[in-house]
Amino acid sequence: MVKFLKPNKAVIVLQGRYAGRKAVIVKSFDDGTRDRAYGHCLVAGIKKYPAKVVRKDSAKKTAKKSRVKCFVKLVNYRHLMPTRYTLDVDLKDTVTLDALQTRDKKIAAAKETKAKFEERFKSGKNRWFFTKLRF
Amino acid sequence: MVTAKKTKKTHESINNRLALVMKSGKYTLGYKTVLRTLRNSKGKLIIISNNCPPLRKSEIEYYAMLAKVGVHHYTGNNVELGTACGKFHRVSCLSIIDAGDSDIIKSLPGDH
Repeated sequence: MVKFLKPNKAVIVLQGRYAGRKAVIVKSFDDGTRDRAYGHCLVAGIKKYPAKVVRKDSAKKTAKKSRVKCFVKLVNYRHLMPTRYTLDVDLKDTVTLDALQTRDKKIAAAKETKAKFEERFKSGKNRWFFTKLRF
Repeated sequence: MVTAKKTKKTHESINNRLALVMKSGKYTLGYKTVLRTLRNSKGKLIIISNNCPPLRKSEIEYYAMLAKVGVHHYTGNNVELGTACGKFHRVSCLSIIDAGDSDIIKSLPGDH
C-alpha cells in the first residue's frame, strides 16, 4: 500500500539491451502518457560498471578503472525489478524527457549523469549500486 | 517454518472470508495482475498458494515487502485456492483490492 516506484529508487533492468544493469529512477509516470499508455519511468543506469580498484594501482590506473558509462532510458515498470536500495543523486534537472528527443541531448544527459555517478562511486557510498550483478 | 498443523476451523474461516470477498469485494487473480496491484499500491492483501514456484513466491513477497502489504500463504495448492475463490480454474496467487464486507484484511496479516 506504499508506493515504492519513486524517484531515487534503485532498480534492476530486466529486459532489453541493458538487462541485468542497475539503474535509478529519475522520474516516474504511473499512469502513462499519450504515447506510452502504460506505467513507465525514466531511469538513469550504468552501462559499464567501474572496475575493481586495488591498492597497488597507480593513480592513473585508478582513475581509468573508476570510469562509469551511463545510459538514460524510458522503461516499462514491467521490465524493472525494484530493490530496497535508494540512490540519492539529484538528476532531476539533467535527465529530463526532453533530453531523450535528440541524440546529442541524450549524450549530453548521459555525460552529466556519468560525472555524478563517478563522483558518488569515488566517495565510497552506495557501494551496492556500483557492483555488477552476477547472474 | 510450519507452526502447528493449521486447524480445520481457521482454514474454513479463511475460505469463508475469501468467499465473502469474491461476492462483495474487489480482487484480481494471477501473477501479472498481482504485481500490477502491488506497483500501483492498490493491493491490500496477497494470497499465495503453497505450490507456487519458489522464485515467483519470493518475488511477490519482495514486492509486498516494499509496498508494506501483507502476504498470506494459503494452506492448499492452486487447485484448492481456485475452488476457494469459486472459480473453475487454478489460482496460484491473488490480490485483494477491496475487501467489501469481509474482515479478511484485519484478521489475516496477524498470522501472516
